[in-house]
Amino acid sequence: MKRRTAALALGTAAALVLTGCSTMNPSSSGGTVTLNMVESLTNPARTDLLKGLIADFEKQNPKIKVNLISPPTEQADQKIQQMLQSGTGVDTLEVRDTTVGPWSNNGWLYDMKKDLTGWKGWEAMTENAVKAAQDTEGKTYFIPYGFYGLSLFYRTDLIEKAGFSEPPATWEDLLKQASAIQDPAKRQYGYAFRGGANANGNAAAIIEAYVADDVDPANGFKLKDGKTIFSAPGALDAMETYLELFKKASPKSSVSWGYPEMVEGFSNGSTAFLLQDPEVIATVSESKSITKDQWNTAPLVAGPSGKTVQALATAGWGVAKGSKNKPEAVKLVEFLSQGEASTTFTKKNSLVPILKSANEDPFYKTGPWSSYVTMTENPEKYLVVTQPRGVSWWTEWQQKADADVQKMILGKLTPEKLLAGWDTYWTEKWK
Amino acid sequence: MIGKETTAGRTARFTFLGIWLVFTVFPLYWITVTSLKAPGDIFRFPIDYWPEHFSVENYTGLFSKADFGVYLTNSLIVATVAGAVATAISMLSAYVLARFEFRTKSALLMAALVTQMIPSFIALGPLYLLMTDLRLVDNRLGLMLVYIAVCIPFCTVMLRGFFENIPDALEEAAMIDGLSRFGALFRVLLPVMRPGIVAAFIFNFVNCWNELFLSVTLMNSDANKTVPTALNGFISSFNIDWGSMSAAAVLTILPTMLLFAFASRHIVQGLTSGAVKG
Amino acid sequence: MAASSTTAKTESGPGRLSRKGGAPPARGARPGRRRREFTTRRGLLIAAFMAPAAVFVAVFTYYPMIAGSQMAFRNWKLTDLTDTSWVGWKNFREVFADPAWGTVLANTGLWVGGSIVPQLVIGFALALWLRRRFRFRGLYQALVFFPWAISGFLIGILFRWMFNSEFGVVNDLLQKAGLIDQPIAWLADPDKAMIAVLVANTWYGVTFFAIMILAALQSIPDELYEAAALDGAGKVRTLFSITIPYIRTTLALTVLLRVIWIFNFPDLIFGMTGGGPNNETHIVTTWMIRITQQGDYGQASAIGLLVVAGLLLFATFFLLATREKREVKP
Repeated sequence: MKRRTAALALGTAAALVLTGCSTMNPSSSGGTVTLNMVESLTNPARTDLLKGLIADFEKQNPKIKVNLISPPTEQADQKIQQMLQSGTGVDTLEVRDTTVGPWSNNGWLYDMKKDLTGWKGWEAMTENAVKAAQDTEGKTYFIPYGFYGLSLFYRTDLIEKAGFSEPPATWEDLLKQASAIQDPAKRQYGYAFRGGANANGNAAAIIEAYVADDVDPANGFKLKDGKTIFSAPGALDAMETYLELFKKASPKSSVSWGYPEMVEGFSNGSTAFLLQDPEVIATVSESKSITKDQWNTAPLVAGPSGKTVQALATAGWGVAKGSKNKPEAVKLVEFLSQGEASTTFTKKNSLVPILKSANEDPFYKTGPWSSYVTMTENPEKYLVVTQPRGVSWWTEWQQKADADVQKMILGKLTPEKLLAGWDTYWTEKWK
Repeated sequence: MIGKETTAGRTARFTFLGIWLVFTVFPLYWITVTSLKAPGDIFRFPIDYWPEHFSVENYTGLFSKADFGVYLTNSLIVATVAGAVATAISMLSAYVLARFEFRTKSALLMAALVTQMIPSFIALGPLYLLMTDLRLVDNRLGLMLVYIAVCIPFCTVMLRGFFENIPDALEEAAMIDGLSRFGALFRVLLPVMRPGIVAAFIFNFVNCWNELFLSVTLMNSDANKTVPTALNGFISSFNIDWGSMSAAAVLTILPTMLLFAFASRHIVQGLTSGAVKG
Repeated sequence: MAASSTTAKTESGPGRLSRKGGAPPARGARPGRRRREFTTRRGLLIAAFMAPAAVFVAVFTYYPMIAGSQMAFRNWKLTDLTDTSWVGWKNFREVFADPAWGTVLANTGLWVGGSIVPQLVIGFALALWLRRRFRFRGLYQALVFFPWAISGFLIGILFRWMFNSEFGVVNDLLQKAGLIDQPIAWLADPDKAMIAVLVANTWYGVTFFAIMILAALQSIPDELYEAAALDGAGKVRTLFSITIPYIRTTLALTVLLRVIWIFNFPDLIFGMTGGGPNNETHIVTTWMIRITQQGDYGQASAIGLLVVAGLLLFATFFLLATREKREVKP
């Protein structure tokens, strides 16, 4: 009887191992190196694009295979952290301006400075890109693949029908036009409000627009006199306008809208305005509900002074410290950051490019892209400002600010109290 | 309960059953209708309760834009193997817990109950490190092993109930006939317990098929993802494409729903006078 | 007679076997089974049969849980892992100090209570009415039992789509029925989001109760009902004096299991509202996910330990409270 028991246990184990062996990953052998590359801001179109670029890379480097890992966006950073903490399984990875601080601090990222000295790719990159590739201590934890910046997506047909000939240039205009278009009975709404995840971003954008004249270019949350932007009188006007925009011109459910819902709200044709990053151009172009001649983009709306603040966000490719194949991993980063690969990635994924050559590229002078060119060509009106996105409390701040914005639009927090809270928060942190 | 039913009682009963049927089936109807609408029509107002233009575009998109076939296969393999192995292992432990008295028995039962109380999120980090050490991250075998462990406690308690309903006399007679305890278990008890085993397997299968958080944590590459992970990816990436979502939902629900439909009688029958009895 | 049809039809169902002699099955079969004397052989058999299950659960459930628990007492923030020193109860204090914690606890109570009561009541009614045989009963069961086969996350998504305030079918139906004038922003209104979430969970959870209770009802010997009928007991009296006492154990244990499961069921809320708006649908386990996503594993583990402790306390209390009644034979 004992023997039978043992036989069963063995049998079970054998069955497990057998099913396991057939599913085991092929390990690297025969001189080829397999790189694990993890992306963070995943979406299906972008994943396909990356797969194409990787195929080119593999063709150029027959001894390197790349295994692309695409975790769902919401869990991506958490997942990457887990992988980095385990010390294996990541070679090349997507690093963002918000994650570079904590990850390098934890010793998870590899400083590519030495490997990239004398790399010819630097010369082709814009000044902004080169700057973003180095942290305050001059270390290179990632090379940006492009920049994200806000512009206004709008429905040409709807503003025309509502009697406007031009897209809004200021937040006031936006409120006026969006309210005119709003017609809940017909399920037609003005503005795709961001009340859910990352609501803080657009709220900060309107405040910065209203205090554009006094904002410190080195720190988007600071005024030139050292106080926070939230303490300025203009900030209150901004928040009141913003609240009106929600009440008069946005769908009710936008209380909980984050990135996917906003983009969906615009691409399904139910909202007329959307404030978003250029990468959305690609998504909206594929919409089945609105055609290409029904929408366009306009430069980011301005404050009362006619100026506005463009806070550039960025992300790029870096190498994990735990990687056992650093030379190959760096090679992949280099490949993605120059020439055809970079151009293709920024064009197809609609990002503000990192290469100087884009200035002459006719692609960026037409259609939805022209508003970005307008913004780059008029830096005195569209001020480029750095937000303190690298600080270690940035995630905490985002969560707090998101909750506050939602409370405000739900009527549980007044704009005054919200701003006072934010002012205290940052003043404390800067002490 | 038994005996004659009045007309009024009958009417009340069927009214209730009818309302509940509509309430239960409607979401399924709605998701199916949504999935069959042409992508541009989903956000039309007024809402169509029947697709004006039938379209399978949402479905074809799943297989051309995403590797939905791969996800379905992965889920099927993982859930079938894990569900079956967990049922087999649980039968052994359930048998012992039903047939013998021993000192650690109540502690073991309590330990099984406690596993149900542990929020999976507390264990995700260490589990990931453990699986890394075992080289089982991003590996279907790894996910199976974890799922087996997840299924065992409830499955054991459930099967224990079935064993308790079967009189000792049956296997004792078999053992007198010369079969060992193991032989008695397999030749005599198994056939009697078939509905119960089917029920236990289905509960395990459904649990594994639907599990989200462990799968998101342990699977990395596209080739190894299961359906819930893929669905989670759909929703969080860029725009919530309700058409594709609905189509994916229909395809995900279908296998487990059919399994439940075919086996619903087995399940009830298997659980009858058993299951959660202390 | 009709009631036992399902089991009676099969030649070898456990239900049928156990009914021999007419005594309540689980207890009736017990005496005479035990051979308490210790033998090595017996000990080995128990160990060998328990081993696979014990190893799996110990390695893949208990080990990670215990390893995760120690983070609750450390400064374990993914945003800064340079200092992961021992901090005692600090993480627990931070959990309680969070102004949202009170809301989260209240929501959890509402979530568990508001789910269990309708699930139990409707599940019970469904089981009672399904016990009597009717044409197409098999088909009916197949149709109404399927929600249990769907993942919580997917149910969340499904109902999120139906409760969408602009294009959702729920508002449209309510408007067509003349019950509301304006579409309701179900998932964006802090006062209504929980209702929507509870509707979804009820839709999902009734099945489990219905199955368990139906199975238990079918185990009740018909003779008991015949005796009650001879005594002239009415429907209500039969229900309370025979049916409920007989299936009390099943009821109690199903409720206990469901309370634990519902408590530990962030999936549905995670898919439907993500805990919003304004935290009004956050329960303890979704809150834990949120804290995890912030990278504060220490605090998240502390919440995890609180969940286990709270549920253990509840289970102990619940088992003690229902024990005496379970001893009473029907």
